Amino acid sequence: MSGRFLDLKQGKVWLLENGRGAPLLYLHGFIDVHSVKDSWMPFHDSLAAKARVIAPAHPGCSQSDENKDIEAIEDVVFHYLEFLDALNLPQFDLVGSCVGGWIAAELAVRHPEKIRKMVLIGAAGLFVQGALIGDVFMMAQPERGSSYAGLRQMLFSRHDHPKALELFPDGMGEVEEELRRYQMLRFGSRIGFKPPYFYNRPLRNRLHRITAPALVIWGEHDRMVPLSHGETYAKSMPQAQPLKVIPNAGHSVHVEEPELMAQIISDFLAS
Amino acid sequence: MQPVQLFCWHFMAYPYLAENFDQIHDTGWVTVPNSLWDNKKARGLYQEYIDQLAYADELGFDGMVLNEHHQNIYGLMPSPNIIAAALTQRSTRGKIVVLGNLLPLHMNPLRVAEEYAMLDQMSNGRLIAGFAPGGGPETFNYDIPSANTREKFWEAADLIVRSWTEDGPFAHEGRYFPLRYVNPWPKPLQTPFPPIWIPGSRSPSTMTEVAKRGYCYFLSSRSHGGETHRAQQEFAAVLEKNGDRYQPFRFGILMSAYVAESDRQAREECEEGVWYFLKNCLKGHLRREGRQLTFGPGVPYIPAPAWKEYLKDYKPGRKLLGDVENWDELEASQSIIVGSPETVYRRIWNLIERAKVGNLLIQFHIGNMPKELALKSMTRFAEQVAPRLREHSLPFFEREYPGVNIKQPKETHL
Repeated sequence: MSGRFLDLKQGKVWLLENGRGAPLLYLHGFIDVHSVKDSWMPFHDSLAAKARVIAPAHPGCSQSDENKDIEAIEDVVFHYLEFLDALNLPQFDLVGSCVGGWIAAELAVRHPEKIRKMVLIGAAGLFVQGALIGDVFMMAQPERGSSYAGLRQMLFSRHDHPKALELFPDGMGEVEEELRRYQMLRFGSRIGFKPPYFYNRPLRNRLHRITAPALVIWGEHDRMVPLSHGETYAKSMPQAQPLKVIPNAGHSVHVEEPELMAQIISDFLAS
Repeated sequence: MQPVQLFCWHFMAYPYLAENFDQIHDTGWVTVPNSLWDNKKARGLYQEYIDQLAYADELGFDGMVLNEHHQNIYGLMPSPNIIAAALTQRSTRGKIVVLGNLLPLHMNPLRVAEEYAMLDQMSNGRLIAGFAPGGGPETFNYDIPSANTREKFWEAADLIVRSWTEDGPFAHEGRYFPLRYVNPWPKPLQTPFPPIWIPGSRSPSTMTEVAKRGYCYFLSSRSHGGETHRAQQEFAAVLEKNGDRYQPFRFGILMSAYVAESDRQAREECEEGVWYFLKNCLKGHLRREGRQLTFGPGVPYIPAPAWKEYLKDYKPGRKLLGDVENWDELEASQSIIVGSPETVYRRIWNLIERAKVGNLLIQFHIGNMPKELALKSMTRFAEQVAPRLREHSLPFFEREYPGVNIKQPKETHL
């Protein structure tokens, strides 16, 4: 694994890179590399066994410069277009989780030709009537001054899942880890706080433009982005496989089931 | 120079919650169910509260203070300008302090410029115009993205002042509130514009922005131990850095007080209202119990480097005002000052002497306090505490700040 900065017009981007093979752009979510860890997690390690995984930190996350011009998802898409130009990546596999899945979908509807295959994991981004995306911001306000049980309950299959307790412990953790989570929330608030929350209404009717083979994976008990969003993604992309639901997992399915997820994704990309 | 300015602040709490509210509900803010609103009890409530503020004017308080809150039981003034409009017709002397309108929540700052100008005209030039960015609960109430709310706030504040000082029509080419025609009718009566107060909680960047513009800094924290003194020193240092000089009327604080014949009687009379306030009204705001919405990672409006500094000193277990468990802890917080006229005088005087603060914004009606008690406490304060504070503060300020001009600068420094 190696980390490096990429200098773009709008600021520095921190990225991690690992593995050999076809390029795979990984866009992170709330419980992920760059947002809770400064290094690969087991899921990304396993992916990198079969591909060249490139994982940039979103603007303002980890060591990437904040970009005050980002106010809407469109601005993030253009950020990544600059990023892709700088990396000289004409075509790649695209995997995104949570907010990263939303960014991936927005990128793909604009530039379907860049995407060889696409994987969305618990992706935000859609408006589905009667199934609002969870309020991660309110849950990030601790209860009784120090409990993040509500946040864990939203982001994992259960609040006392060992991974949940490790990544979102109660009380005050290491300053750097607290800061990393804060940076992700701050980035998220730029694009996801309004409308409530993390969606772009026109996206749904644009999804038919994604002609790459696509796989949509959801944790059975995703309480941040309801399962119906996964069904909508899978139905709306012409080359998507039927929605893959991972039993007993929550929103952070790639953290709760890293080996299984990496296997499913690697198989799909190789098929 | 002038003596300490004493203002009567009314929050207009919802006072009819059941005794077991705290056991049943995890917050008094944003998600507290409005099915608890009881029209049978609440009919006439606003009239009662407005009467109390009008009475403060009769008693000779220097002003009446209102502020903006949404979807909560702490303060029933989503639009303080409506109450301020009523007060323009119910009062004759005191300032009307709106502290403030929450600028990022208003679709268009021009509306604030217009309404404040109306209030200034309707009150014959008695408006003090407060601008505030809004805290965590308002972020949730109005779905305001956190990351750029401070920039939006200052753009709005500067646009409002420009609309009052520069002849229109002009185009505002701002990032957040672009407007082709800025040309408000009416203009405010006070020239060049009403005094402007901005609340803050010791963030250096807010202090700097306030100092640059020549406005009054208002400390919104409710506890007045060493923190008030520290805030005053920090603000004074920021002013110096900006080529300005501290004087007591550049600074204001919020406190609560209850005065009765004796210490014991004061406590007996106000205790129910105080606990109602601490345990119900502050739940979700200045209380750890439940989910505190005011400040935290879920409302990430502070840039990451400043948040890192905050984290270094952060102690998750630290008690907030609403977490006090007994009367002694409450007394130690120096937030709610209760006692005989002598006690209340002495404790407030200590604060003035130490923090050199000129604007005291005092909450008299606390929680579900019956109006008779609030009025009685206000009367006693006005007759037996205020005169002594005024008498002693004038020579004190003159001695400490000789020859200082206490008027706000005629032009902003921008």
